Amino acid sequence: MIISHFDLDTFFVSVERLLDSRLNGRPILIGGVTDRGVVASCSYEARTFGVHSAMPMRLARELCPQAVVIRGNTSNYSKYSQMVTEIMKESVPVLEKSSIDEFYCDLTGMDQFFGCMKMAHELRERIIRETGLPISFGLSHNKTVSKIATGEAKPNNEMEIAPGQEKPFLAPLSVKKIPMVGNKTYQSLRNLGVQKIKTIQEMPMEMMERVFGKHGIDIWKKAQGVDKSIVVPYSERKSISSERTFERDTIDVVKLKGILAAMAENLAFQLRRGDKLTACITVKVRYSDFNTHSLQARIPYSAADHLLIPKVNELFNRLYDKRLLVRLVGVRFSHLVGGGHQINLFEDSEEMISLYQAMDRMRNRFGDRAVLRASGMGAKTIGQTMNPFTGEPPMLLANRHA
Amino acid sequence: MKFIVSSTGLLKHLNQISGVLNSNNTLPILDHFLFQVEGNSLSISLSDLETTMTTKMDLDKSAKDGSFCAPAKILLDILKTFSEQPLSFDIDEKTMGIELSSDHGKYKVPGASADEFPKAIELEGGEKIKMSSSALFGGINKSLFATGNDEMRPIMSGILFEINEDNLTFVATDAHKLVKYVRSDVKAKKASTFILPKKPNNLLKSLLSTTDAEVELSYSNTNAHFSIGDVQLVCRLIDGKYPNYDAVIPKENPNKLTIDRHAFLNSLRRVSLFSNKTTHQIRLKFAGSELHISAEDLDFSNEASERLTCSYEGEDMEIGFNARFIVEMMNNLDSDQVTLEMSAPNRAGIIRSLDGLDESEDVLMLVMPIMLNA
Repeated sequence: MIISHFDLDTFFVSVERLLDSRLNGRPILIGGVTDRGVVASCSYEARTFGVHSAMPMRLARELCPQAVVIRGNTSNYSKYSQMVTEIMKESVPVLEKSSIDEFYCDLTGMDQFFGCMKMAHELRERIIRETGLPISFGLSHNKTVSKIATGEAKPNNEMEIAPGQEKPFLAPLSVKKIPMVGNKTYQSLRNLGVQKIKTIQEMPMEMMERVFGKHGIDIWKKAQGVDKSIVVPYSERKSISSERTFERDTIDVVKLKGILAAMAENLAFQLRRGDKLTACITVKVRYSDFNTHSLQARIPYSAADHLLIPKVNELFNRLYDKRLLVRLVGVRFSHLVGGGHQINLFEDSEEMISLYQAMDRMRNRFGDRAVLRASGMGAKTIGQTMNPFTGEPPMLLANRHA
Repeated sequence: MKFIVSSTGLLKHLNQISGVLNSNNTLPILDHFLFQVEGNSLSISLSDLETTMTTKMDLDKSAKDGSFCAPAKILLDILKTFSEQPLSFDIDEKTMGIELSSDHGKYKVPGASADEFPKAIELEGGEKIKMSSSALFGGINKSLFATGNDEMRPIMSGILFEINEDNLTFVATDAHKLVKYVRSDVKAKKASTFILPKKPNNLLKSLLSTTDAEVELSYSNTNAHFSIGDVQLVCRLIDGKYPNYDAVIPKENPNKLTIDRHAFLNSLRRVSLFSNKTTHQIRLKFAGSELHISAEDLDFSNEASERLTCSYEGEDMEIGFNARFIVEMMNNLDSDQVTLEMSAPNRAGIIRSLDGLDESEDVLMLVMPIMLNA
């Protein structure tokens, strides 16, 4: 296998700079502009001040008061991401778009004709030339090593890890560079005295398994430079969800229910537009103390508002029994399956079915928010403008941790 | 007490009622047959508290009247191994121990006192009607598949019996499909309705497939009693109000398809293999005298479409169905030609058979469509 991993450097920042050259060379923060927001992307200039993505915006501003703060515009980012995707699709045999700014290409067999490094290099040059966006890539025998190599190559550079060199390449790096290692695992590893990947390489696999279970075996394998996962060109959405963090924590149950109903209504429309049904509803509540609770229920396959909204409401009633300030609410529909709503002989009236069809026609023509339940009209920013079932990875929202 | 009985005769009678046995009973006595000997006649009962079945047979020889309970599973299992031979039962009335002797040897098993067995339900008041076994079998056989499985709505898990001066109507529905089967050769003096649960329906169906004895049915508000040849079945009825099914059957259906049942069934079977494994969604498209059946499963990139010639009156239209429902219906009809009547893509389709029915029977099957994206 020969796999290369492409990553657009500080993608959101690069797009903003393309649109406004005055931003070049200045520290930039992109993300939620309110105090509740977090940094979605920041320029290398801002990083020298200690800012990193997923940091609360308030803290980032304190660290780097001279930074330009931009709210960000997701549709611009999608557009540029799409441009890059098009170029990639033309040039490589198998492409996986794993997020808005990351791509895996399977170049296996291409070395017979082109030389993989040369090909990837030319592809990178072409993307930079045609879109103006800086991009880096790593090339190796599997996804994990390529991704780590990209991280090492950045900014705006490339790196090839020759076969057999995976272990020596990984050895001196921090364990944090392994894609599976998040904050928690990192802390546990540090507590074990593990800092460099080299240490994991020298540990017996059984020891990692004892500490981290199955997860540990995967980390151990990745540390050895072994990763058998393949490049998946199309990934089916397994769930769709919507959530909302409030500017100010609230206990206004009427408002909360209105927002949840609006979310459920919008998601139900997304299901119908994508010819999907859901069989599992999850409602999530995060209190002001960051305690997060969620409750889920299985239902018969459905995409009908009048079945989903009452169920969401019921779950919320069961979940929210504390009378505490709420910071965030969210709804998720999972266990998705392709198909239309099976009409019920006794519960669905013809008027109801015709109403859905009419509302969906209006939304398809005039946009998601063309017609709404009155209860959800207060919730202004609910609603995705994108169809979630196009095979594209979900857009990272600015207020969500990566 | 002591009696001698033919092994295969006993097994045949036990098998008639053994369907009542649940796989895991909370009350141990429900795992037992009740044997009652009176003169030269033996009656055997099995009960799950809701449903009780009793069968009667003649004995080769008996010494004394009496009754006892015998464990059902071991008795059925050992009887299956015997070739035809006389078996003698010897019951110790103090310990309720049962000793069974065959040509091959002796077998001992503990029994239980007949007093522990649940008391038979006595019907109070109630009506009584008679019908042929084919009428009852037809009604149950044609409609049972359409009953629901939703524990939240127990009413729909049974079959509705609607009896009046003109006919007996069987109705079953799970809110997605509905069957209405009418027998005009069964009549009652007084109109009444009851809902028979799924289990006795299944028991009656398998019993009636082996006999053509006349059926005597008596019923009250809470119980029904079927008497078929040697066998009696008493069961509790489902309490509640059945949904108003007649109101949801559309009366005006201008679009009418007439098609060969076998051809339609075979096409549906083939095309539905390519539909989504959960929703079994298929598309029927009617244009002129052509029926276009198609299905797709995006997750696996499966796709199928077939064309069938048919006779179709009405406007061109496209309608979605769960293929499994229609396949079940086609399987449950016996005719060569069937009709599918529709009015709109979001309203019910009605299936009837054109031939193959007795003069005294009439069947209507209704299937609700799936909402299709235009």
